[in-house]
Amino acid sequence: MIKLVDLHKSFNKLKVLDGINLEINKGEIIVIIGRSGGGKSVLLKHIIGLIRPDAGHVFIDDVDITQLKEKDIYKIRRRFGMLFQDAALFDSMTVGQNIAFPLAEHTDLSKKEIAQIVAGKLADVGLSGIEDKYPSELSGGMKKRVGLARAIAMDPEIILFDEPTTGLDPIMTAAIDELILGIQRRLNLTCVVISHDIQSTFKIANKIAMLYKGKIIETGDPESFRNSENPIVQGFLQGIPEDKIISS
Amino acid sequence: MRRFLFTIGYKTLSAINQMGDMAIMLISALSWAFIPPLRIRNIFKQMEFIGVKSIFIVILTGLFTGGVLALQSYYAFRKFGGESLLGATVALSMTRELGPVLTALMVTGRAGSAIAAELGTMRVTEQIDALAVMAINPVKYLVVPRIIAGILVVPILTVIDDFVGIVGGYIIGVGLLKINPGIFMAKMIEMVELSDIFNGLFKSVCFGLLLTLIGCYKGYHTRGGAEGVGRATTEAVVVSSVSILVGDYILTSLLF
Repeated sequence: MIKLVDLHKSFNKLKVLDGINLEINKGEIIVIIGRSGGGKSVLLKHIIGLIRPDAGHVFIDDVDITQLKEKDIYKIRRRFGMLFQDAALFDSMTVGQNIAFPLAEHTDLSKKEIAQIVAGKLADVGLSGIEDKYPSELSGGMKKRVGLARAIAMDPEIILFDEPTTGLDPIMTAAIDELILGIQRRLNLTCVVISHDIQSTFKIANKIAMLYKGKIIETGDPESFRNSENPIVQGFLQGIPEDKIISS
Repeated sequence: MRRFLFTIGYKTLSAINQMGDMAIMLISALSWAFIPPLRIRNIFKQMEFIGVKSIFIVILTGLFTGGVLALQSYYAFRKFGGESLLGATVALSMTRELGPVLTALMVTGRAGSAIAAELGTMRVTEQIDALAVMAINPVKYLVVPRIIAGILVVPILTVIDDFVGIVGGYIIGVGLLKINPGIFMAKMIEMVELSDIFNGLFKSVCFGLLLTLIGCYKGYHTRGGAEGVGRATTEAVVVSSVSILVGDYILTSLLF
């Protein structure tokens, strides 16, 4: 469904992606792990065409989006939803307006129908009845859940998650994990999650990929990942700093 | 010395680079402006923000500028007995020069900075990316309505400023300095041409475009959190103000 081929990207001579190859299948939850500032967000933004690569290709169902014009990328994007790190809710709008926004922009549904969908999506994330609150009145966890409701408003096929559990308490983290799993199963979505939360990763992933120094150094199911013999992967899973791995 | 030259070269290049980027943003905004949906509501919302909410400061600016202009000119004119020209001087200065420039500067301070701060905050909190992800072009949604509103509203504010400025000059000239009201008005009507007013308004259209474009550009390309938003806001005001003054000179030399 999604295929990244030899993706390269640099910012001001700093190489962030250095030949990424990755395949993501339909209905799969793939978690891309790696250190903070290691280019995970940049990778995610390539998948949805927010950033164009210096070289390489991004295929969405055999369409190479790196070759598309801006207007055609917008058509492809309607198949995506994305949950941003801090939810990126529009703070000038209420929760209800936030979720209704893509529906009002892209569909001919009546206000009443939109309101019904909004209520449904809020119920999906366990936050019924908060349509009239503003994002500034919500806690971090609630914002993420509203962000998720907005991401699924258009019934996308693919959802991208940018560190969905960062900055949340353990109970909220578990709740968000359950939510991702539940929504993925119910709607048969393809989910691409980037994270550095090991516990969550093993809980939700069908497949894990590790990004290290601009390359994917390991991919596999959680079990094979846990048993990986790559010292960098093991070091990351166990929280051992790199210099200690190299010296040992 | 080499370092000094290097710095100058670097700054010049980055300034030219930014101008190019701004031109690209303007072209992109123009190309999106006529593609439906036109979002008339958004345009009205921005017109209210940039225009209606600036009326009060524009009136204040106009009133006192017209007043001080009358006062200063009076002392100069008195030296050779030219007090009768006071009305014409105030009206010409306001319509040709001070009305458009001061209005644009005041709107820059009030609305240009707010545009940069709002878009900058949306950038650093990824709200602009969120728009793009939802398949809504951020330039069309955020930049186009602001530029259109700026182009429409700054000339209207300038008309208000021109009028209030002349009223201010009249109050000081006739009320305080005891110039004959008939002469004040007659000379003004005699010497001010319609082209003076229209050229002034043409300038203000350009200024409206400049200040909204620069505000949007600086906000849209903000980097680096809260500090970045602060920097973008300051730069928007400084760059807009300088551009308005430089642009004013260029336009005046071309128009008049």
